[in-house]
Amino acid sequence: MPDTNTPYFTGQWWKRKDVKRHAVLWVILTAFIGYVGTEVQVFAMGAPASETMENVIDLMRIFTWAAAPVAGFAAAISIGALMGKRHYGDNPPPESEHAIRNSPRAIALWIVVSALMCLFALVVGLIALQKDDARLLDAKAIHINVVGQQWAWNYDYPGSAGVRSEVLHLPVNQPVVFHVTSKDVKHSFWLVQLGVKIDANPGQFTEISVTPNKIGTFDIRCAELCGLLHAYMQNKVIVESKADYEAWLASQPDTGKTTWVEEKADA
Amino acid sequence: MMERPTPTSGDSPKVGIIRHLNVFTAFALGALTAIIVWRLSLALLPADSESAPLFTREDKITLLSMIGWFVGFMAGIGALVAPFRWVMGKDLSHDENMFLAGKDMGTKRYFRYTTDHKVVGIQYLIITMVIFGIGGILAMLIRANLGTPEGGWIHPQAYNSIVGTHGIIMIVGTIIMVTGPFGNYIMPIMIGARDMAFPRLNALSFWLIVAAAIPLLWGQFIGGISTGWSAYNPLAGQAPLGMNGYIMFICIFALSTMVAGANITTTVVRMRAKGMTWNRTPIFIYGVVASVALALPAFPVFFLSQVMSGMDRALGTSFYDTARGGSGWLYENLFWIMGHPEVYVILIPAVAALMEMAPVFTRRPLFSFNVAVMGIAGICGLSVLVWAHHMYISGWAPLLNAPFMLTTELISIPTGMLFLVLIGTLWRGRLWMTVPTMSIFALLWNFMIGGVTGIYLSDVPADAFLHGSMYVTAHFHYTLMGAGLTGALASLVYWFPKMTGKMLDKKLSWISFWLVQVGFNVAFIGMFFVGLQGQPRRVEAYAAIFNNGNLITSIGAATIMTGMLILLAAVIGSWRSGVKAPMNPWHAKSLEWTVPNPVPLENFETLPIVTEDVYGYGRKS
Repeated sequence: MPDTNTPYFTGQWWKRKDVKRHAVLWVILTAFIGYVGTEVQVFAMGAPASETMENVIDLMRIFTWAAAPVAGFAAAISIGALMGKRHYGDNPPPESEHAIRNSPRAIALWIVVSALMCLFALVVGLIALQKDDARLLDAKAIHINVVGQQWAWNYDYPGSAGVRSEVLHLPVNQPVVFHVTSKDVKHSFWLVQLGVKIDANPGQFTEISVTPNKIGTFDIRCAELCGLLHAYMQNKVIVESKADYEAWLASQPDTGKTTWVEEKADA
Repeated sequence: MMERPTPTSGDSPKVGIIRHLNVFTAFALGALTAIIVWRLSLALLPADSESAPLFTREDKITLLSMIGWFVGFMAGIGALVAPFRWVMGKDLSHDENMFLAGKDMGTKRYFRYTTDHKVVGIQYLIITMVIFGIGGILAMLIRANLGTPEGGWIHPQAYNSIVGTHGIIMIVGTIIMVTGPFGNYIMPIMIGARDMAFPRLNALSFWLIVAAAIPLLWGQFIGGISTGWSAYNPLAGQAPLGMNGYIMFICIFALSTMVAGANITTTVVRMRAKGMTWNRTPIFIYGVVASVALALPAFPVFFLSQVMSGMDRALGTSFYDTARGGSGWLYENLFWIMGHPEVYVILIPAVAALMEMAPVFTRRPLFSFNVAVMGIAGICGLSVLVWAHHMYISGWAPLLNAPFMLTTELISIPTGMLFLVLIGTLWRGRLWMTVPTMSIFALLWNFMIGGVTGIYLSDVPADAFLHGSMYVTAHFHYTLMGAGLTGALASLVYWFPKMTGKMLDKKLSWISFWLVQVGFNVAFIGMFFVGLQGQPRRVEAYAAIFNNGNLITSIGAATIMTGMLILLAAVIGSWRSGVKAPMNPWHAKSLEWTVPNPVPLENFETLPIVTEDVYGYGRKS
């Protein structure tokens, strides 16, 4: 069917009253959505205990603010439509006074902008990913083996002492690489306030790295359903000063049970 | 429902055994076969040897009995009559075919292997409502158990099983909620066809779902499905016998989906009315076809993954058994190769249905039909390339995280096109304020939140924090329920007059709409919050800091339940004694509104000829 309408966006279309009204709505809604969206989420995530977690929080901020104009635009048009001509009753309102079926310019703009935003999200993500991957290769890092089993975590410390602990002790500001595995089913090793997580697969080692930068006690939870007591498969990570950590490590008895082998550290 | 005089039985000698088969014979024969197979396998199967893994014999017996049920049920409903005749070199007589189509059968045809697409559509509508009812009750049980941080009200094993069963049956319910009732009832009329391309396959696809439901129910009594809906191995390998119920359920349901997919795709490609070119085919049809066509490659993989899971349990193979050389990552891959297209199987027809309604209720053309088609096609194409974003932190292939992040984020472009079409249609339209109209706004709101949170999750470093937390649960409820279910409920209000001949109670459906939408947002914003605080998914107890968020979610869930019960009351009340609906209550231009109420057998007296598309609203200046 031929389009018999004059295009909407001709002449000085930006001076039209409804365009201006929508533009104002758009700005207000973008600011509102961006602000509330970031603040509520960042509040919920609590205080970070590592640079990794700080990065995650930054990513949430960036993505929320980047998405806010899009959400604000859809919301502005929606509210604009709802504030416009509304019709109640069992019979339809008269048909719209126009029959615009297309707008190549609007469509092209929309697709280009969404592609650019997609590219932006990708680049931001890749940069953050690159930082996380680089940490795995840090030569100064200490290496700890993490063994998940139904329904507990065990931590094996490096060195000849054969130290196995049920509570994770970490020195502050020291890069750590975890080598994570499982004895039975799949678990997921989540250091909540440190912002890292990796699955524990039976028969395989997976690696993840983090540098805690705050002294304190934080949560470790299993994030993969692993059977009956999955909800209770959690304990604490104690981040302490280097001296306290060394003292604790030295005080641990040799259990003779550690799974620690030096080769795993090179993997 | 239409009441017609039932013909006295016995006046049609040409109708053979089919006349005696219905849902009751199906259940009887299914149960009988299951019991026979069970007793036989108990007597005949050898005991496990020392070397065999645990449970094997019991698993064999359970799976064989369930297969016995399935074969017996399908024979009892009459699915095998026509193929059997064909093997014998004969075919069904004309009278038998008319009997199968449900001619002059009244309400009895809803309980038989009826081939009329309108009967199948109503059957799908009822079973979808039953599934949502059961899934909703399970959801309320979950919320009840999460009422206090300590949990403990339900035994952890039963709780895990409730979570898994809620998950899988809601997934199945949402898969069929648009393409089942409306894809079967409305779609053939909308394209100007007399029935589906393969009417018997249509009946088959429905009764397969009924056959599948029983093993799932059965599984609840022999240990339950304590693995979540994803049934990851090796956890599923060590789960109790109930896991076999899940395996059989998925295998039979996957068959149903494949059969329905082939049928619907063929119907739309081959049976559109004269003149209905692809440019004049309504967007809802595109949505339905995209959904089932996407299911066609996805569900065979699901089927296969569960066959392998069953073999690991019953036959001692080791596809997934890591202790004996198998790989849990293999299962994860197979599962998500189905699992990610599957969410678009759910979402696309619901969004397409609202795009179909948007022009009707704004009285202006769809803003850019071509962009809508491009969006649907783009989502379909990309959705088969994103599965491993569910496995970023699994350790399976860390080097592939970046490419999968790329494909996942690319999906936001075609998804944005669907948004553009919807808001472009709203722009400067005259809104006719109905529940479907407000559903468009609700979809935009919910799908925006679901989509943006999807971008956080697609980002690998952010996902390393969010994965496996309640945040993910809230995210996919926003997409599947906030967007998907909203579209399905709008479809129900929109097409109810054609399917039942009655108008759906206006006041009650408005009340229900607001309760469901407000309750939904309260419930799942609360869930986002506890997810960000660090609450993992699928836990029956949690730390005290998650108390408030969980309380908010429970309040929201109760509100949703109230709204859904009110909708149920409206559906039952209006169906029984609602206001009689005119032929075209919404003054829409698509073909399903040109046939009278109730829709006659074979729909059209003379087949229509289409000369323009269905969006010709708005004054031409």
